[in-house]
Amino acid sequence: MKPFFAQIERDLLIAWQNRQDLGVMLVFFVIIIALFPLAIGANASVLDPLGVPVIWIAALLAILAGFDRLFAQDVRDGWLDQIALSQLGLGWYALAKAISHWLTAGLPLLIMTPLMAMMLNIPLQQWPPLLIALLIGSMGLTLLGVIGAALAEGARRGTALMALLILPLAVPLLIFGTLASQSDRGIISPHLMLLGAVFALLLALAPLVAASALEIGETETGL
Amino acid sequence: MTNNDHIKTARKAAPNTADHSLQINQLSVLRGMVLVISNLSHQQNAGDICCLTGPNGAGKSTLLRTIAGRLPAAGGHIACPVPIIYVGHTDGLSGAISGRENLTGWAKINGFSTTETAIDTALSSFATNRFADLPVRVLSRGQRRRLALARLALAPADSLLLLDEPNAGLDQASSRILDDIVQKHAMAGGMVLAATHLDFAAAAKPRSLHLPGLVT
Repeated sequence: MKPFFAQIERDLLIAWQNRQDLGVMLVFFVIIIALFPLAIGANASVLDPLGVPVIWIAALLAILAGFDRLFAQDVRDGWLDQIALSQLGLGWYALAKAISHWLTAGLPLLIMTPLMAMMLNIPLQQWPPLLIALLIGSMGLTLLGVIGAALAEGARRGTALMALLILPLAVPLLIFGTLASQSDRGIISPHLMLLGAVFALLLALAPLVAASALEIGETETGL
Repeated sequence: MTNNDHIKTARKAAPNTADHSLQINQLSVLRGMVLVISNLSHQQNAGDICCLTGPNGAGKSTLLRTIAGRLPAAGGHIACPVPIIYVGHTDGLSGAISGRENLTGWAKINGFSTTETAIDTALSSFATNRFADLPVRVLSRGQRRRLALARLALAPADSLLLLDEPNAGLDQASSRILDDIVQKHAMAGGMVLAATHLDFAAAAKPRSLHLPGLVT
């Protein structure tokens, strides 16, 4: 397990040195949410039901926007070669990448969410289901993003390709996530369980898919 | 090359010797649609230093990456029972963090010793202490190279060092240090396979493996 945590530690060190990227992502999140009411108009009966979906769309876009560079730097630096020869292996490496990316992008976003919920006038009793669903949803989206980044790695126009690959796959997370967030049956709703199931599936599959994508990408486009 | 033949016959007599050696049999490697390496056989025993020579595009880097397992072989097979340390074109250093953090992280993912003394000794092997705590992005090409090569000091004694143009960009003093480290590694029972155009470990009289390149 030591190599696994060493990879997370390294990514967190690098993320700390590049912390302005985090700021950009958070401002992006806030701006999307702030733009919606401006476009829809100041009609409370229209705006109120839109609060939770708007937060979800903004979170989806903000999380996935940060993914195009996830593996690119490690490939260019030659770090991936070192990983492939190490005890870590590409699957654990991909999982470590997902965890460090969630810690540096998903978690700050989650911490911002109560502020956004206040701004959108979401009633206080809806906050717990929203935050729990967004917690699981953001982790699921991060795993999806890892798959997308690995598949698009080495491709020209990787960013656009990644969006095309990943956004359709994000649909189940979005549907169950928004339903679970608006649940009036307490925090543990059936939708939350389905959201958790999608997350569990991604947790098992994403590292394997990403590892084989990185392996193939190397042979097709490497030096 | 007579030495080489002798090894081949010895290998035939005892094909499954469990000694620490690198064996490449009838290796072919494709890059895209081009056959870069065809039918290459090569044996190397513990303590051998081998220089990989040949014109640009002859497949030197491709061969090293194939041995490192980063490229698939189209035919033939490679057996290497010892750990592999690979220092390629790219140094494997992140520009955002310091050389020391890079080296410590690398030692951790490989399960090597990460005590402060071990890291300090490795860093001082190429006299990198003075700039080891600066972010790598501010360093020069040669300084990065020295940090990348500092890994060799942490390599297990029996490992195979795969070096891709290791002394390109190094100053004379660092080249001598590299020669010294490589020779000590070989004497301790390790193997070295280096692609290079420059003088490399000349004092140890390394063997050479020539890749002629494709005649088109």
